[in-house]
Amino acid sequence: MPALFTFLCIASRFLALAVLLAGLSPHPGSAEEPEFFFKPFAPNHWAFGRRLDESQLRYCVDRRDPDWEVAAAIADAVASALLLEPQQYMVEKNFVAEDITKVYALLVEHCDMHLGFKLIPGGYSQWATLTRPYYEAEYIFVASDPNIGSLGDLPSGRPIGATLGTSAHVRLVSYVSALPARDRWPVHPKGTNDLALESLLDGSADVALIWAPTLWAKQRTEPAFSELRRIDPRPLPPTALGVGAMMLRDETFLRTAIDEAIAALIADGTISDILDDYRFPATAKR
Amino acid sequence: MPINKRKGILFLTAIALSLSTQAVVAQDNPIDNVTPVTDEMLLNPPDGDWLMWRRTYDGWGYSPLDQINKENVGDLRLAWSWAMTPGRTQETPLAHDGIVYIQNSDAVIQALDGATGDLIWEYEYDLPDDAAIRGVRNKAIYDDKLIIATRHAHLFALDTKTGDLIWDKTVANYRHGFGFSSGPIVANGVIIQGMTGCSRAQPGGCFFTGHDVNTGEELWRVHTIARGDTPEGNSWNGVPLESRYGASAWMAGSYDSEQNLFFAGVGQVYPWNIEMAGLVPPSSDPGVTNEALYTNATLAIDASTGELKWYFQHLETDSLDLDYVFERMLIDLPVDGEERKMTVTVGKIGIIEALDRFTGEYLWDVETVPQNVVLSIDPDTGDKTINPDVIPVIGETTFNCPADPGGKSWQATAYSPRTQALYLPLVEFCSNTTVNPLDPGEIYTGGGRQTYSRVPVPDSDGNIGRVDAINLNDRSTMWSYRQRPPITSSTLPTGGGLVFVGSLDRKFMAFDDETGEKLWESGRLTNSLESFPITYTANGKQYVAITANFASGLGRLASLTPEVRLPSNDPIALYVFALPD
Repeated sequence: MPALFTFLCIASRFLALAVLLAGLSPHPGSAEEPEFFFKPFAPNHWAFGRRLDESQLRYCVDRRDPDWEVAAAIADAVASALLLEPQQYMVEKNFVAEDITKVYALLVEHCDMHLGFKLIPGGYSQWATLTRPYYEAEYIFVASDPNIGSLGDLPSGRPIGATLGTSAHVRLVSYVSALPARDRWPVHPKGTNDLALESLLDGSADVALIWAPTLWAKQRTEPAFSELRRIDPRPLPPTALGVGAMMLRDETFLRTAIDEAIAALIADGTISDILDDYRFPATAKR
Repeated sequence: MPINKRKGILFLTAIALSLSTQAVVAQDNPIDNVTPVTDEMLLNPPDGDWLMWRRTYDGWGYSPLDQINKENVGDLRLAWSWAMTPGRTQETPLAHDGIVYIQNSDAVIQALDGATGDLIWEYEYDLPDDAAIRGVRNKAIYDDKLIIATRHAHLFALDTKTGDLIWDKTVANYRHGFGFSSGPIVANGVIIQGMTGCSRAQPGGCFFTGHDVNTGEELWRVHTIARGDTPEGNSWNGVPLESRYGASAWMAGSYDSEQNLFFAGVGQVYPWNIEMAGLVPPSSDPGVTNEALYTNATLAIDASTGELKWYFQHLETDSLDLDYVFERMLIDLPVDGEERKMTVTVGKIGIIEALDRFTGEYLWDVETVPQNVVLSIDPDTGDKTINPDVIPVIGETTFNCPADPGGKSWQATAYSPRTQALYLPLVEFCSNTTVNPLDPGEIYTGGGRQTYSRVPVPDSDGNIGRVDAINLNDRSTMWSYRQRPPITSSTLPTGGGLVFVGSLDRKFMAFDDETGEKLWESGRLTNSLESFPITYTANGKQYVAITANFASGLGRLASLTPEVRLPSNDPIALYVFALPD
């Protein structure tokens, strides 16, 4: 009964995953879904069915993501591990920010997985699922002033430009709120990592809180950012998140296969080698 | 390339007529009888027309038509229907001289014969490939122009008779998040349009703009986030303008010709969590406050110059996405024995609030749905005491009623001069609210950094949908209709003594405006009714129209009523009802 055995294996893994997520989620249950996630829509989405060529692994990367080259290299490696032909779909859009349900349209029409999504408990809707992480990266504090070696060196009253709504931003504002008023830093929300970094260049903030791959990407291409330095987050602990690929939830078999491939590529050092080749600020954790 | 298909339609019609073996009497095309819409017509619309979002400048959403009335509404039948582009919309059709104008979710604009549903012309706007395919709530008509707003922040004008493009203007860069979800009104010859989408991509907030009706040129702009070294500009807890987000102007407004004032509402702060927005903890600077003006305020704006005459903030430092952005109804009635000229609105909390529309003075309030957000309201100033237990805090889950879509949402309340009553489309529900980081991708995000687990109100009898009739003379409840499926359309009171409204379970209903008795109910239509019903005449006969569509507005409440199943392909259709001939 190989089919039944395969089904039971997959089912048991999903059960384990569900138990894990339930433990991580602050409020398990579908009713907590963010409003935008409730019922995604894509033009003509009912017109797309099962694809015909199953020898390919179709993946999306987005040129707006700072890590897209690294992500593409990892996706190619995953396809190779699965003996599939990688088919890259490059998302070429100029929007500064978009609602996550737009990924639904990309997955319906163009790709089996979209790389570049952080594993946040409760952060995804029922229509989506994430693979296991292929790397882990940190939110970092960045400064241009050489006298600021850590967050604790920043005098109270000096502003921090923080990419808003991130896990690290939540941690920072919680910490600041707990300080006596005289010891606080003003934390100014910034809509994007780019805006937070630019607040250092224009002098409106002394420290920026951003996603580490953004600084890496900026410093590869834009000299204006070359003098910015990552500083020690203390007195706060580091905030690290795993990054995986988003898939449609009903792609259960493929998702299991991709998870196994990612695990194997981490175990044999392939993903670490890719990260090293790009000097990318992330680690491939087993 | 934009396409006008009227010529093609007429050509094919001509071929069909020439091939006919029967004698054919040439029929007038009803579009030929369309007259220019004048300022006087906008001030006093013909009974059979629906010329703007809420039909009249006072925002009542009321029609004096009475052919369809309490005695005969039971005979109401489907007259015709028209399939629209599938997708999401919250459409308000316009009707003028028997022609119905509609905007599809992909910006295809169509003119239909209001008597037959026959297509007369259609115009396909050339949307960029990456523009959102989604409808816009309303449009405007002025002179020979149909004025359309798009999701990618354009305004354009079409010839009402031909559908030909007259002008097209870019108001803002949609790739920075800007866009229109509602359309304009035309007041004193000026197009007035509100901007939305000013969230994380675009600091500094949104704005209202005034435009030349003949060219689309921008005449003035009023920012919805206060700026400068003023008490209003310093109301953001010291957060600089470059870090202030939100204050979307996502609903159209009303117009008082006596004062030449435009009244509209402004949405909430973004992100909704005020710790993340930087509004708490409060600054120790004595020159700084944190109410975040002009979020959740009524603005009174000079229609010709854009001068902000006065404002009134209904809910300061909002942390729950409880917008006060919806319709402003201009109503004149006695208050404490003195005739007052009021602007009346209802925010998501479901509290009806009246202001003097000359001064912005607070007058009175009436609560409707169950709520635990506002503990008390100062009867003199309107200042609200907010329940501290409902304010979301990082690391905790709080409980608030109503939940974020609102006990009253974008579905417009209407006012009937027949009964001097408001008719409110309402829902009853609450939320377990948790502050969450929502930064899953670099580009893609969701929500306002809080998640809302929507639940029934404590001790609920299971009913969620509700329509209330509030007599504004004594502010008493005339009647309250309740049902399990959420009410999802705006209300439409008429001179026939009826109130029409639609619900999530695909039903269109008519109530007795005095008793609340349900007098008529449609069969199940193709989708939930999340839109703005209208009524109009064509060839002297009254019709009632509503769009059936899912708009993810109160339809989100489907999670509370899983037994209400809707089609997955998001069909949209315009349904038009009439009495038998």
